This record gives sequence, structure tokens and C-alpha cells, in this order.
Amino acid sequence: MNTHKSEKFQAKTETEGSVCTVFLSGELDLSVAPDFRLVMEPLVGDKGLDLVINLKELRYIDSTGIGILLSILKARHGLEVKFSVVEVPSQIQKLFDMTGISKFFAPQEDSH
Amino acid sequence: MSDDVQKVILQLPASAEYVDIVRLNLYGIASKMGFTYEDIEDMKVAVSEACNNSVLYAYGQKDGVVDVIFEVGAKSLSITVKDEGESFDGLDSSGERMTLHDKELSDVQVGGLGFYLMQALMDEVSVVSETGKGTVVTLTKRLNFTEEKV
Repeated sequence: MNTHKSEKFQAKTETEGSVCTVFLSGELDLSVAPDFRLVMEPLVGDKGLDLVINLKELRYIDSTGIGILLSILKARHGLEVKFSVVEVPSQIQKLFDMTGISKFFAPQEDSH
Repeated sequence: MSDDVQKVILQLPASAEYVDIVRLNLYGIASKMGFTYEDIEDMKVAVSEACNNSVLYAYGQKDGVVDVIFEVGAKSLSITVKDEGESFDGLDSSGERMTLHDKELSDVQVGGLGFYLMQALMDEVSVVSETGKGTVVTLTKRLNFTEEKV
């Protein structure tokens, strides 16, 4: 029997210039949280990157996943570098709104 | 009033890798009962959070089991998630203060959102935790027949 992982969680990273986008797909839950942390770890502290997480293909997120996004948000905020979460599916947006995390994902006003 | 309730019982290892099996079963049962897509998604999140609590806090490093009991009623679905491990503290039944709405980013604590989500997404939530006997979380969602008013 295969070791069962939740509906194939995947994190694919694409870098274009200074913009690094991480595309998430499948189900981000407790069982794959360590995998996601591992992917993000080297990126979060990189001040030269404009970090973007794209949730378009993400089917499901639990509070563990939301917690990881929050800790990335806090780390990036602390470094005063860019971080955004884009293309949030409506079901996931609902959870972001409910927990109050959405306001932190709102586009940041940059001093131009 | 017919109160016939049928039960579907699932027993799983208290391990993160089995929580999606609970979601798959929930999906099957809830869609068969006629719940909307949105309601099913809500229940998936709530039930997973209850399972996560058992997986994370009930047994520590020891092996344990989680029982999930689906009670299929005519007008509602109740899901009970039960472990026999350590009870988990800090479950505040008000839940309200767990959200981030009034908080600054610097004040935000990672974690603590799971229980709030259960409350926000279900019609009824009950948590009974007894020291040494484990925790029983029961989540109920009612079927809405808004489009079939007679």
C-alpha cells in the first residue's frame, strides 16, 4: 500500500527576475505542513525576492496551513520585504475572511 | 417526528495522514444526504480541525486511535470525533477571541484558529473533555431546504 498523502499537495516554484511565485495545488493540511515549510524556508528569509504565493489550484487548506501563511507573513513583515497571496479560491477566501487573516493579505501600500 | 438516525463509524490511527480519509467519507455521506457544495466544504474544514486536535494533542508520541461517528438524520448530520488520550486545554467555548479581526500583525498568534473555525462553520459544536478519558467533539450541520418551501 502506498503511504497515503492528502490529495497530492504540490508546491512549484517559478522565478522571474526578482519575483518568486510559489504555486500551490492539492490539499494543504497537517500531513503535508512539514513539506510546505521545507519549500518555503529558504525563500522566506530572502530579502532580494518579491515573494508571491498563488493559491489558484489549492483545493483545501486547514488551520495548520493558514498558520504557516501567517508565520510567513510575519517573517516578511519583520524583514520589511514584499509578500503577497494571490488568486485565492472563494472557499479559501471565506476561511481567510472568517479568521480575519484577509486584512493582512490585502495589497500593501508601497511608498512610491 | 421520525428521529431515525443511522450511524456510520470509522476508526483510524491518530495520524495526520488519515485525516483526509475522514474528509472523503464525509464527502460521500454529506453529498448523498443532499448537502450543498458549500456546506460540505464547511464541514470538511470543521471535521478536519477536530481530527487535527486529536492527532496533535491526544496521544503525544504514543500510538492511538480516533473514532469518527457520522450520525445521519433526516434533517441533519452530526459528526463525533473521539479520542481517548490527554484532554486538550485551552478550549474556550466562546471561541470569539480567537480571531484576528481586532489584532495587529505583531499580536497575532499562530495557532488557535482551529476551534474558532469549527464554531463558525457548523450549526452546533460541543466539546467534552475529561482528564485521562479523552475528548469528544460533536459537530452538527442542519440540512437547509430553502428552495423547497411548501
